Parts: sequence; C-alpha cells; structure tokens
Amino acid sequence: MSILEYNGAAMIAMAGKNCVGIAADRRLGMQAQTVSTNFQKVFPMGDKLYVGLAGLASDVQTLHQLLEYRLSLYELNEERKMSPQVFSTLLSNVLYSKRFGPYFIEPIVAGLDKDNKPVLSGSDLIGASVSTDDFVVSGTCTGNLFGMCETLYKPDMDPDQLFETLAQALLASVDRDALSGWGGVVHIITPTGVMTKELKGRQD
Amino acid sequence: MARRYDSSTTTFSPEGRLHQVEYAIEAINNAGTCVGILAKDGIVMASERRITSGLLAPAKTSEKTYKLCDHAACNVAGLTADANILIDQARIYAARNHYVYQDPIPVEQLVEHVCNYKQAYTQYGGLRPFGVAFLFAGYDIHHGFQLYQSDPSGNYSGWKATVIGSNNQAGKSLLKTEYKEEAPSVQEALMLAVKVLNKTMDGTAASVEKMELFRMTLDEDGNCQHHILTAEEAKDVIDSVAAEASSSGDS
Repeated sequence: MSILEYNGAAMIAMAGKNCVGIAADRRLGMQAQTVSTNFQKVFPMGDKLYVGLAGLASDVQTLHQLLEYRLSLYELNEERKMSPQVFSTLLSNVLYSKRFGPYFIEPIVAGLDKDNKPVLSGSDLIGASVSTDDFVVSGTCTGNLFGMCETLYKPDMDPDQLFETLAQALLASVDRDALSGWGGVVHIITPTGVMTKELKGRQD
Repeated sequence: MARRYDSSTTTFSPEGRLHQVEYAIEAINNAGTCVGILAKDGIVMASERRITSGLLAPAKTSEKTYKLCDHAACNVAGLTADANILIDQARIYAARNHYVYQDPIPVEQLVEHVCNYKQAYTQYGGLRPFGVAFLFAGYDIHHGFQLYQSDPSGNYSGWKATVIGSNNQAGKSLLKTEYKEEAPSVQEALMLAVKVLNKTMDGTAASVEKMELFRMTLDEDGNCQHHILTAEEAKDVIDSVAAEASSSGDS
C-alpha cells in the first residue's frame, strides 16, 4: 500500500482559449472504505488561481492552509496578488523544504496570468514541477487520466467545450479506478469569472 | 541629574522612571499626527502626511497606514524603520494564528503581542526601545470594532477616539468636546478626524496631499473592508468640513 493511494483522488487541469479548467473527484476513502462523498481537493487561491491537491487527505488540508498563510503574507508585503507562476514556484519550494519527510501530495496548479493567458503546472511530492500548455493530471488513476486527456484534448477550446472535455475525461477515468470517483466538481476560470459545476457520476 | 540613569534602557532612575522610554515617546511627539475615531459602523483613522521632498518616489501605498490582516490595520507615528519591524512581526503573528486556529485572531491579542515585543526592549538586552506609537483598528466577532493605542513602553489601551504624534494634546482636547456619547457614523467620524487634523496642523492649510484618510467597515457579507480614501473622496470630506466651519462662523 502506498501512502499516496490511501485516500484516493483524481484531478485534471486543462487549458482552453483564454480560459483554464480544473476538475477533481469528490471521494475520500480509507483504503477500500468510502468515508466522504464531498471532500474538497481543489481550492481557490485567488480569483484566477486554483490549486488541486491529490494525495494524503491530511496533507491536502494542511498544505492548503499553509499555502493560504504564505499567500496572505505575500499579498500584505508586496501589495499585489500572487501570479500563478510565482505560486507554482512557492509550492515547489514548500514541498522541497520537506525533502526528507515530504508532504504526500502531488499538486496541480491552474490559473490565468495578468494577460489572461492560461498557466498550468504540476509537480511531484518533492517539488519537481513541469509547466505545460495543454493539460496536467494527478491522482490514483493517472494512467486513465492521461489516456482520456490525450484522446479528448484539442487546443483553443472555448469555456463550454472545455467543461465538456474535462467532465468526460474525469468521469471515464474514475470509473475504472476503485479509489476515486463518487462525484466530481469542475471549475472553469475565464477573464470574467469562474464557473463551477458539480458532476453527476457513478456513485461507486 | 537624570543623565546618569538615562543611557541604559533597562535601568530605573531613582524617581522610578525609564528615561530611554520617555525619550522614545518624545521622538514620536515630533512625528506626523494620527487620529483614530471609533464610529457606530466602523473605524476611521486620519494621518498627517509629512512630505519631506517633492522628489520622493513612494514605494508603498502608504507610509502611515498598514494592513495587518483581513480584519486589522494600523497607523504609525514615529520612526518608520522601527515601525516596519513591528508591522512585519504583527503580520506574521496574525497569519500564523490564522493558520493554526483557522480563525481570525482577536484584535486585542494581536495588539498585546506587538506590545509584548516592544516591552522586551525596555527590560532585556540593553537595546534601545522602538520609537513608534501605533493606532490599531480592528474588527472581531467578540468585541466588534475596536481602536487601540500603543507606545514604546509596550503599554496599550482601548479608545473611542484618540490622537498620537505632534500636537496630540490639542487634538485630544478637541475630541473631548466634539466626540458625542453616542458614537458617530463613519462619515461624521471622517469629518471629525479632518477637524482634528486641521487643529493639530494649525498654520498649514488642510489639503488632500497633506492628509491621508482611512476607514474600516463591514460589507454585506460581514467581511472587513479597508479603504484609503481616494484624492476625490478625501477632498469631499475636507471641503464639507471647511463649508461647515465657514457657515457656523457666519451664524
């Protein structure tokens, strides 16, 4: 049993034309047993910046609170909002600072920079990050997620198409994974605001 | 006679005074005035901007008003360099408290923490005290809106209205007569604050460049709003105070 697979998770972040979407499942389990069907794994860190935390649930919550702490101090001192690239770097550094006793989290970051261009990045549990322009995935069924995204993704989708793609990719991936699923949530971030929708999927 | 006892911060004089602390307070009485007023539905803080040179490029939004956390802000009178250290301390403490308890820090606790930090410099180490006085404005669900004043000794007290910095005695005496038993509205408090600054800055005409007006209120969702008045909004307040003064002069 791997600690990263103890609670279960599935998440995708994907870029569209001047928009990004981030989607995650809702399950919280303790190995085989399902404990919650509305566990939050994607968090808004600013109005155009979202972070998805996949992995050990305790670390999901702690890391979220820690990132909020770091973000609020940054905004007080710098008197400006943190950009997605800077946030991604901060996240990497926080994770690496625990190199020899890590947070069991494999996060994804999705946001729009100041020119409203999509910013996507993902990292491993010790802070090695990658930046992409199409999609990033994380969780207990990354094989499924990569396959679905690679198949369904096309560049320059509008917000509605992006929503459909994210929803279908997520739902199909979690159905073949025992540890993730039990519903989903999708956030589409556009220059004018964020659209959030809950997904109805197989409740098993 | 006090000479022998004033070089060390951590020694009492025979009269039971800490001279270094008193000298620090003197430094603040030469600094730009700050007035704070508790209103029914918020808090108002106004400060005198001392523009030392037209060539100065401002690095931050304000050198008098600082946000400490979502629900607290402070005004500074005294050595800005000293103030920066204490403000960093306060911000980190408030943020850390929020991280640990996932709850906003009660305002008095934040004030007391900053004051305890200042007090240490009057008792240990042989370092000089901080030459700063603060006006803290904050909101929490336990006690609503609160206004606190603190000085280099580390002492603090809660106020309905108070003044720090140069000519604070003149400001305080004006507040004593003008601050009504029933708390003013934020708009009335802004006008009263400008009146106080007019008095403490006597000789120099009131103008938007010389005054900074700040108000803290709650929005419909119960979240604290920090707002430094724009030049236009400040001008409106200053003009209405001037209008009121001239009309009452006529009658």
